[in-house]
Amino acid sequence: MKILKLGIIGLGYAGQIHLMNAKRLGNASLVAVADISKKALSRAKRYRVRKTFTDYKQMLKDPEIDAVIIALPTHLHLKSAIDAAEAKKHMMIEKPIARNVEEAKEIIEAARRNNVKLMVGYPLRFNQQFQDLKRRIYDGTLGDIEIAIANYISTGPFFHRTETHAPTPVPEWWFQKDLTGGGALIDLGSHLINLLRWYFGEITNIKSYLGYRFNMDFEDKAICLAKFESETTAIVNVGWFSQKYQLKIELLGTMDHVIARHEPANPLTTIVQILLTGISQFHQGHIVELQHFVNCLLRDSQPTPTGEDGLRDLEAIERAYKNQIPLE
Amino acid sequence: MSLVSLVKIKNCRIKHAIEESLSLINYEFPYRAQRIVIKPNLCYYWDYTTGQTTDPRFIAELIELIQEKTEGDVRISIVESDASAMICKYAFKMLSYEKLVKKYGVRLINLSSEEAVRANITVEGRTFQFMIPKIIKEADVKINVPKIKYTVRGIELTCALKNIYGCNPDPKKFKYHRVLNEVIVALNKLMRFNLCIVDGNIVSGAHPRKLGLVMASQDPVALDAAAAEIAGLNPKKIKYLQLAEKEGLGKTLYIPRGEPIEYFTARYPRKDFKKKLMDKAYTILVLTRLDKKLGV
Repeated sequence: MKILKLGIIGLGYAGQIHLMNAKRLGNASLVAVADISKKALSRAKRYRVRKTFTDYKQMLKDPEIDAVIIALPTHLHLKSAIDAAEAKKHMMIEKPIARNVEEAKEIIEAARRNNVKLMVGYPLRFNQQFQDLKRRIYDGTLGDIEIAIANYISTGPFFHRTETHAPTPVPEWWFQKDLTGGGALIDLGSHLINLLRWYFGEITNIKSYLGYRFNMDFEDKAICLAKFESETTAIVNVGWFSQKYQLKIELLGTMDHVIARHEPANPLTTIVQILLTGISQFHQGHIVELQHFVNCLLRDSQPTPTGEDGLRDLEAIERAYKNQIPLE
Repeated sequence: MSLVSLVKIKNCRIKHAIEESLSLINYEFPYRAQRIVIKPNLCYYWDYTTGQTTDPRFIAELIELIQEKTEGDVRISIVESDASAMICKYAFKMLSYEKLVKKYGVRLINLSSEEAVRANITVEGRTFQFMIPKIIKEADVKINVPKIKYTVRGIELTCALKNIYGCNPDPKKFKYHRVLNEVIVALNKLMRFNLCIVDGNIVSGAHPRKLGLVMASQDPVALDAAAAEIAGLNPKKIKYLQLAEKEGLGKTLYIPRGEPIEYFTARYPRKDFKKKLMDKAYTILVLTRLDKKLGV
């Protein structure tokens, strides 16, 4: 059996999830990781990752590696993706693909020029609940979906809940809009917009209202109103303001209504899930996503969501930022 | 025995409640005070609705009261320091403290970037060395505005004495966690605050709850003993409180004034069995480092 050799660039929150998942795949081998933090690299060594690099460019020179997962802060996606493409490595980039449309186009062009496959990491696409919605829309059991309501509310990058988690430092890049490309809309909204585009086709019009509870120059709340090719109208609510996590999609169709939720279980249930199945239900989408990426590369087919998907999401988000509805 | 006042905030009139709480302990701001330092409790980027951090609106009402009761040119500084997981400048901005600068002309001071002097202190035969910010050392009036909340095992309660831990300008505060009881007492011995006023409007217990409490005292030990009682904890079992009393920072026995303490004790959101079980489970995960391994 052919085994795909993987490398991970960046061992932050998302990178560590990929690290643990990559070790569980039967047809892939995680051979190397790169991160500027020596502490993160020594943690990776405990997971028996053979090669560790403080400079990802050194890792990209390794001929053993077939593909890389880029899990760096958003402002570093462009440079690292171009470097990976030029090193002829296939890649999966964490969402959002880049800070803006121009950068996304450059990444897609670099992948095309170097004939490497590019996927954007959107784990919700691989969650059972959201795949079931896609199936029900396709089956026609819901009729025509007139209204979709999508909510994604959390603490965002300030993600430590007061109840059980001790606070850990928030990397400073999260506080700088020029490094993130925006606030809650690009961070959480990209997930929902990608999912809704998968369900209903391209967005024909989108408007937004942005909120700034935390007085920063990036929004911590966004409400978007979007119209899709399918004629569905969607309300997208995202926020970084709440200790209570909510990720919910509600579809109101002419024949039926349905709600899908994706929320973490309490710590005890999570431990039981991990002990029984090796992974928490909450993180199930990440491993299915990675498995899809690996399977596609081994079959020489294009993994989805593609770079173009990521670009379309950013185009919609940029339009939403531009078409703001003033309420004051 | 020290006086501890307990006042209910009625009709959202916070300033009135603060004023009443000070009157009940016979405290008056020195009319000719020049430099006043206020230490709220900021923790991470959690806002006042979590009950974890002092409400900037509470501080605003306190500032108004100080400005009414003192000579016109009093300089008020709100102080906090960087912590292992909190950058002060972002906390001031995100939690709306910057708005106080514009409205009242007060200063926001990050103690981690301020001039400080070295000081040694001995607690329980153990000598500690800290940097003491000059702004605190030189202030005429130092006001501690803590929250009442549960905290890590071994400390149990955060209120007045624990809030002064945040006056240590060293951002790497986690390094003191093994000797936290002694360090809390040491810092309070080095930086004695004149007045403690608890923002108990929204409190954090098992969950956040509007308690509508203002509590004041000039004795941080007495105030913490009352806070412990409200939170359902035995002051005799809180090590740093006993240590603080032994080191002469105050008395755990106090004279309550104002509302009966039972009114607040009955309403404080205490931890129930399920919550305690979850906390224990999570503590075990952290101590065994299983949380990192399992990705919980």
